[in-house]
Amino acid sequence: MRLASRATFLIVAFALTFSLSACGTNQGSGAPAGSTAPVTGGSTAPGGSTGGSSPAANLSGEITVWAMGNEGTKLKTIADAFTKANPNVKVNITPVDWGQAVTKLQTAIAGGTTPDVSQMGTDMMAQFGANGTFDPVPADIDPSQFFQTAWNTNLVDGKAAGVPWYVETRLLYYRKDIAEKAGITAPPATWDDLKAMAKAMKEKGGSKWGISLGTKNWQEYVPFLWSNGGDIADASGKPALNSQQAVEALTYYESFFQDGLTPKSVPEGFDITPAFVKGDNPMFFSGPWHLGLIKDAGGAGFESKWAIAPMPKKVTATSFLGGSNMVVFSASKNKEAAWAFVKFTADPTTQALWYKTVTDLPAVQAAWSDPDVASDPNVKMFGDQLKDTKAQPVSGSWSEVSSAINDTLEKMTTGGLAPQAAADEMQQQAESIGLN
Amino acid sequence: MTAPALTQRTVADRAPRPAATGGGWRRDLTGWAFAAPFVILFGVFLAIPILVSFALSFTSFNQRDLVNPIGTSFVGLDNYGRLLSDAKFWKSLVNTFYFVGVGVPLTLAIGLLIASALSRGITKFRTAFRVGYYLPVITSIVAIAVVWRFLLNPDIGLINVALGSIGIQGPDWLASKTLAMPSIIAMAVWRNLGFAMVVFIAGLQAIPVSLYEAASIDGAGRWSAFRYVTLPMLRPTILFMLVITTIGYLQLFEEPFVMTDGGPLDATLSVTMYMYQQGFEFFKQGYASAIAYVLFVIVAVIAFLQFRFLRSEDA
Repeated sequence: MRLASRATFLIVAFALTFSLSACGTNQGSGAPAGSTAPVTGGSTAPGGSTGGSSPAANLSGEITVWAMGNEGTKLKTIADAFTKANPNVKVNITPVDWGQAVTKLQTAIAGGTTPDVSQMGTDMMAQFGANGTFDPVPADIDPSQFFQTAWNTNLVDGKAAGVPWYVETRLLYYRKDIAEKAGITAPPATWDDLKAMAKAMKEKGGSKWGISLGTKNWQEYVPFLWSNGGDIADASGKPALNSQQAVEALTYYESFFQDGLTPKSVPEGFDITPAFVKGDNPMFFSGPWHLGLIKDAGGAGFESKWAIAPMPKKVTATSFLGGSNMVVFSASKNKEAAWAFVKFTADPTTQALWYKTVTDLPAVQAAWSDPDVASDPNVKMFGDQLKDTKAQPVSGSWSEVSSAINDTLEKMTTGGLAPQAAADEMQQQAESIGLN
Repeated sequence: MTAPALTQRTVADRAPRPAATGGGWRRDLTGWAFAAPFVILFGVFLAIPILVSFALSFTSFNQRDLVNPIGTSFVGLDNYGRLLSDAKFWKSLVNTFYFVGVGVPLTLAIGLLIASALSRGITKFRTAFRVGYYLPVITSIVAIAVVWRFLLNPDIGLINVALGSIGIQGPDWLASKTLAMPSIIAMAVWRNLGFAMVVFIAGLQAIPVSLYEAASIDGAGRWSAFRYVTLPMLRPTILFMLVITTIGYLQLFEEPFVMTDGGPLDATLSVTMYMYQQGFEFFKQGYASAIAYVLFVIVAVIAFLQFRFLRSEDA
């Protein structure tokens, strides 16, 4: 008996050990830590490349570039144009899955195997750019050519650590036909309009819901906070999540749930696109990628039934800005070529080419005068909204703070927490985590 | 009357062993050489990481320290202190105990029931049943979780469609604060009872038939035979299953990770999931290591207590 029990104990001890080692083996399956970069919907016509005008210095050698998701698979278009202008530089592209981007970057930084250049989500800058991981942006890159908010996402500890590559912002998608049935012919200009429209669409338009707002998505809440004159952090960088403006914005946001205008829960795998086409959820806020998705899902004859509109106005009409930047790693052995490549991606011609390749919106304002970018009125509306946008604070702990905001939002939208209490909880959480 | 199984083991125990004399260091070296693959793998992939994470739990190691890991700051017991006042951690602990408290007894009870039925009662298609119950154990947990997510879908899921056909409006299982955890427990029990069944069948088959014959001569019915023969004879097996299942269930991770992401409102957030969030989503490796060690201590204490209480009745 003694021996047998010892054997059992060994098994248990082994199992215990296993319980610990299991902690370390799940790196690969991780979701992106709050990456804002969306999946861009489909590609458009292949670019009739015009090639970039770049300073034809005598660059040579090799550079490795990491790019995520769809951008990673299509980056070759830019790389080819770059090599055309700089025949002596070889560009190696490594496509990285968004789901693994964070882990891969962590591993590369810890192991000293960083690439020369990498795409970096606007919310990942502080997380990875701390301690001088990124090479400072050279002085000859003019910040004013980019959208101000996009440039600001690169300021890690006040210094530019990257260069905007592409941007995205959120607009209101709405069903024109259902609105008309409910007696509304103009897009909502104010918060009150939006509320009235959601109500009318549900009650008179025959929709199941009036709108679709996220129950736990800070990216959908903060535009209301900003539009009401509030902000996530005050001028000194301290959290300001329970300001008067924030409580008002939360109250407004919550009223849609309270009045049954937006679902409190959606089934797993819920996709807004078919629900929008069907008419169940006749309004929602989203980025440019939904233009293509709706076009595909709606099919012929659906084009006239929907439209997009800018953020409804309160004090301002501010939307959320996301997207990606390009960074050069300090450890790069070929910084000259690396920066030449980054500058090339920020060239208005390349930006327009990139728009034609993957429909990523240009971060460089001059690129918006390119006929290919400006011709689509829907895309132009995104361009106009981009002038009034804000982004999350550049903070290494943002992924944690935003996750806490999401938790509290969920308590408010589905759990009955009062807006004032929700604001206080967000503030308390943000203060205890810290926005450093 | 001595049970043959016991006799056999006694004989095996007393079988002459090769004498351990002679050979000296050369013999030791050969031994170590054979053990080396395990020792090296164990050291590199288990022992060292375990020690490092113990050290990490006393630091504030995070993303910023990646460039210079040695430069991280030592914070003593801060991480452990913070855990005490971390409401989310306590919530995850309560959830985990809920899962273990309901899930383990259910798994063992149903596993034993099926094992009894398959080893004595049901004779037709016995193999088919065994395979059927065991299949979930060897199926990828992620695949299972995805399928269950479909089953539990409020609108098109099989369960609610079935309920609907008899006039019951089924709930949104995974989106309900009260039903999400029971749904996950149901899935975990279904998935794991195959393993319990196999172990119990082995245990049941080791019980000599003569004991049951003796019991029936003494006038014992089916229940009495189960109560006074099967259960006592199975005690070591039950203890083994109890400990193994408890340890496994305390590490609840994949099910909520795939099915609910810890929601709704943290109703299915387990300790391991919280640790994962802190360690890999927020990269607070110091804090996450502290959580890992707290979980380790909890697992060790519970396993110890289970041994203590279940073995004390052993003669």
